[in-house]
Amino acid sequence: MEVNVSFNLNGKKVSVTAPPAKSLLRVLREDLGITSVKPGCEAGECGACSVLLDGQVVTSCLVMISQVDGKNVITVEGLQKDGELDPLQKSFIDEGATQCGYCTPGFIISAKGLLNENPNPTDEEILEGVSGNICRCGAYPRIFNAIKKVVKKNVI
Amino acid sequence: MSYEKVEVYSPRSLAEALEILSQKKEHIKPVAGGTDVMVMLKDGVVKEKELLNLSYISELSYIKEKESRILIGAATKYREIRRSPIINAYAPILIEAVRQIGSPQIQNLGTIGGNLGTASPAGDSIPPLYVLNARVKLQKIGTSREVQIDKFFLGPRKTVKEPDELITEISVDKMEPGSYYFFEKLGLRSANAISIVSAAGIINLENKTVKYLRLSLGAVAPTVIRATDAEEEAKGKELSEDLIDRIAKLASEATKPISDIRGTAEYRKKATYGIVYEALYRIFKGYGKKIEYGFEKTS
Ligand SMILES: Cc1cc2nc3c(=O)[nH]c(=O)nc-3n(C[C@H](O)[C@H](O)[C@H](O)COP(=O)(O)OP(=O)(O)OC[C@H]3O[C@@H](n4cnc5c(N)ncnc54)[C@H](O)[C@@H]3O)c2cc1C
Ligand code: FES
Ligand code: FES
Repeated sequence: MEVNVSFNLNGKKVSVTAPPAKSLLRVLREDLGITSVKPGCEAGECGACSVLLDGQVVTSCLVMISQVDGKNVITVEGLQKDGELDPLQKSFIDEGATQCGYCTPGFIISAKGLLNENPNPTDEEILEGVSGNICRCGAYPRIFNAIKKVVKKNVI
Repeated sequence: MSYEKVEVYSPRSLAEALEILSQKKEHIKPVAGGTDVMVMLKDGVVKEKELLNLSYISELSYIKEKESRILIGAATKYREIRRSPIINAYAPILIEAVRQIGSPQIQNLGTIGGNLGTASPAGDSIPPLYVLNARVKLQKIGTSREVQIDKFFLGPRKTVKEPDELITEISVDKMEPGSYYFFEKLGLRSANAISIVSAAGIINLENKTVKYLRLSLGAVAPTVIRATDAEEEAKGKELSEDLIDRIAKLASEATKPISDIRGTAEYRKKATYGIVYEALYRIFKGYGKKIEYGFEKTS
């Protein structure tokens, strides 16, 4: 009882064979070696497992691998271009927006999903954009500043 | 049932899905966005050994106008509802509720049909659907029927849907221009919180006189309810602080809440009074949201 599913992962075509109801989170980590997606609650509440699915941020713990056929999946591993980190990644480093780092990939992906659709969000829109992500260490002010810095550069 | 033992069918058309359902009936469980089913699967409380994945059936996702009604495909995501010009123009009360559901992640996955399928009295799309006179379309091979929203739910997690039926469409009234509306939700925080008490209302005023009030309450009874006594009380009367007090009291009396980890029954009764009073008071004072010529506007 396994399915074969092909999809685009960080710009490359991949094929996996897995139990059909296995979560995208578990497939990414266990079958495809993508460990930036973190299992936190595995119930959609913490956002640590966030990925972009066809450009939209979703919690990969709530997606069955059977629902990913032919889709585009982006994780932080896929954000860098030609060896250059994404502006959001750089900004998180510059601002020191991470403590233990467990939540960081999820926050960056949520922010990326937001900025893809709305390059110039208001402060409220930034807060809503990352409202599905929890930081257990409480780095929220720095996380907000890191995103805000990128937004400011977008405006200029 | 742990995920390893579960089989998944992924039809590409509605006809195919109904065919599978007609054979498997109660042995297969539909999954749309999976935001409820995946959590149940993790908790080991899915009894079905097979899942029917609806996420590839594009014909179940649409928002259309039909005269004075709006038709919404069951697998339409919250994301699409929030962005829909039709819903923004003619049923903004639904937007008020949907933007308070979960988080961006949940809104990008979750569907309105899934909220009805889960049939929680705390489901946040449901109170607006009550005041929009929604009908739920249930379809099986060869036939379909439409059920009024208040006849659809039998209790927590119980509906009139038969195992060989799928929810395929939800239809609602367009709101009348000039109506005021609100959706209020009390949760432990703003994101990813289950409603402790919620209320949806549409109020139509002629000068200051109430032409009609439609008021529904969530998470305070085995199903979402309409506060019909409160609606009757309001009809034909001039809006005043005194009338608002009576409406809020009748709304509170209409509830049959339970105590759980999120709040006691007593708290829910008091909170119902509070959120209904506050929402109507805001409208009374001129700060309410109003739908004007089919377009959202804050008065
Ligand atoms: C972190 C988190 C936060 C949440 N926050 C909220 C919130 O604020 N407010 C709220 O109301 N809900 C919330 N939910 C619950 C959930 O997201 C909603 O109930 C959502 O609408 C479910 O839709 P879905 O498509 O994901 O349903 P699924 O999980 O796919 O299905 C839910 C149920 O409906 C049935 N079903 C689905 N589609 C159909 C169909 N077309 N025909 C027949 N049966 C069908 C399934 O068999 C299942 O029983 C939250 C969930 C999570 C995980
Ligand atoms: S692990 Fe997916 S949201 Fe927490
Ligand atoms: S840095 Fe530790 S959880 Fe956010």
